[in-house]
Amino acid sequence: MRKVLPKAGLNLFCLLVYIFLAAPIVVVLLSSLTTTEYIVFPPKGITLRWYTELLDHPEFMQSFTLSIIVAFGTAIIATFIGTMASIAVVRYEFKLKTAIVQLVGSPLLIPSVVFGVALLQFYSWIGIAASPIALVIGHIILTIPFVMRLVVASLVGFDRSIEQAAMNLGAGSFKVFFQITLPMIKSGVIAGAIFAFITSFDDLTVALFIVSTDVVTLPVRIYTYMQYQYDPIITSVSSIMILLTFVLMVVIERVLGVGKVFASKN
Amino acid sequence: MSYLCLENVVKTFDKTEVVKKMNLEIKKGELVSFLGPSGCGKTTTLNMIAGFLEVDGGRIVVDGKPVHLLPPNKREMGMVFQNYALFPHMTVFDNVAYGLKLRKVPKGEIRERVLEALEMVRLAGYEKRYPKELSGGQQQRVSLARALVIKPKVLLLDEPLSNLDAKLRQEMREEIVEIQKKVGITTIFVTHDQEEALAISDRIAVMYEGRIEQMDTPVEIYNHPKTDFVSRFIGEVNQIQGQVVETYNGQQCKITFDGYEQVISKLGVKDSVMNFYLRPEKIQLAQTNREGLHVKLERKMFLGAKTRYILQFKEKQLIADISNTVLNPDLIKEGQDVYAVWNPEELLLVKK
Repeated sequence: MRKVLPKAGLNLFCLLVYIFLAAPIVVVLLSSLTTTEYIVFPPKGITLRWYTELLDHPEFMQSFTLSIIVAFGTAIIATFIGTMASIAVVRYEFKLKTAIVQLVGSPLLIPSVVFGVALLQFYSWIGIAASPIALVIGHIILTIPFVMRLVVASLVGFDRSIEQAAMNLGAGSFKVFFQITLPMIKSGVIAGAIFAFITSFDDLTVALFIVSTDVVTLPVRIYTYMQYQYDPIITSVSSIMILLTFVLMVVIERVLGVGKVFASKN
Repeated sequence: MSYLCLENVVKTFDKTEVVKKMNLEIKKGELVSFLGPSGCGKTTTLNMIAGFLEVDGGRIVVDGKPVHLLPPNKREMGMVFQNYALFPHMTVFDNVAYGLKLRKVPKGEIRERVLEALEMVRLAGYEKRYPKELSGGQQQRVSLARALVIKPKVLLLDEPLSNLDAKLRQEMREEIVEIQKKVGITTIFVTHDQEEALAISDRIAVMYEGRIEQMDTPVEIYNHPKTDFVSRFIGEVNQIQGQVVETYNGQQCKITFDGYEQVISKLGVKDSVMNFYLRPEKIQLAQTNREGLHVKLERKMFLGAKTRYILQFKEKQLIADISNTVLNPDLIKEGQDVYAVWNPEELLLVKK
């Protein structure tokens, strides 16, 4: 009996936490189905009207495409740089190493508003106009710390004699990296890339400072739209974002089993 | 004709020389052990031969060609690591095939050679497994197959058995020797386990503080250690002091060990008081033999096949290991007076 009681209590507690976490998402998803002209929960009636209405708002589709492109570019470049930097940090000693690590990690600590203002200042100073590339650069700085956290974690405790074994069998350093090292830290790298993608796709604060009238990411589009109108189109766009993220996670989990990374090593 | 030569090889870490002007010659097909305590430079030397460490001086020559400037992937050495170092993301087959793929060996031949190598290490049928699904001994066998399948010039084994349990260790070492002899490959085996080195080696290089103290066959190393370190490191020794009483025509001299007189050859005897080493198993015990060294049995330990007798004479201890078939351990009681006897030939006179 003594064992059963706390377990039931724990289950209940967990359930409540899950509800608390999932509730906003469920509210958004359900509200997008309402037949009313305004957002309401619980929805009154069920319709997919707000999804079809999206087709009359090409600016949302444009922003969606832009966000995907920016997130994709960010993920690829940040993962590349972050992985290289992680290897340098874990395996080599160099001058000012701690300082450099802190500097690279600082976007995690600096409020993103401050970072957004700084980027805006910097871009106008060196003369970079609002563009997808400007966004990607900003997001790379923002996401490298995430990539590094995950890749460094998978590199710590890496048995380097495995690389020596490959060398011994005749592999040059490039082959060792791509055939041995990279596959072994794969889960950390992929997890880093996903984090970078989602962080970029999700970013509002930094993007707000960089966007212009023709370069508007989806979160910014939703935000500005909401300032003037508050109809269920917002919830339908948001639902699509949620579903995309969800599908991404499921696909990656199925294909690569990245979930393991977040549990523990091996 | 030596196949692998180290000529004045030096390695320095942070200004300390960990390998000091090492010279070494290994014949083709020979199995040589590097034996020594940790920090003696044996693994460092192996890593220089494999190319994982650069030499700071000297040359390494294999089959007449200097290799010490080549990167490890160009040296054609097969290495087996202490922790196996298998590629965890590849199957057993792919692990073994890796070196052959890098050499662009045709697919059919790869398959043939990998299966042959796995058969040799008695792992046929395990091709599709992943390393984590194998036991330590099996993993080490894969590692051995992976190193041998590329037909390397030299096989390097870095404490390959130290992660295995005692029984498996013995089995594996016999298997390694068997395979080594069958393939006829020149092999270096690094170990800190003297029994292992004595059991498998054609020759042993005993290393201490970055130097080779002695390089010889196991029998020579054990019976005729040339330095103080070798005699203490290999096997156990009793240290006893003898006094020179008489010398005969420069050839022999009479020495007394607390009343036990023996005539030995004079070679190396210079002072009037000399230190000798004596292996515990070279001592015999007698209850009545006035010619032996008079000692008292302090304690005895039954060790299965043999018994260890701890003897006392003049506040000093002497250890004797005697087979239980030679002497019934119940015969002598603790506290009893006995005589220790040994053949004067067994006394090791060691240069300080």
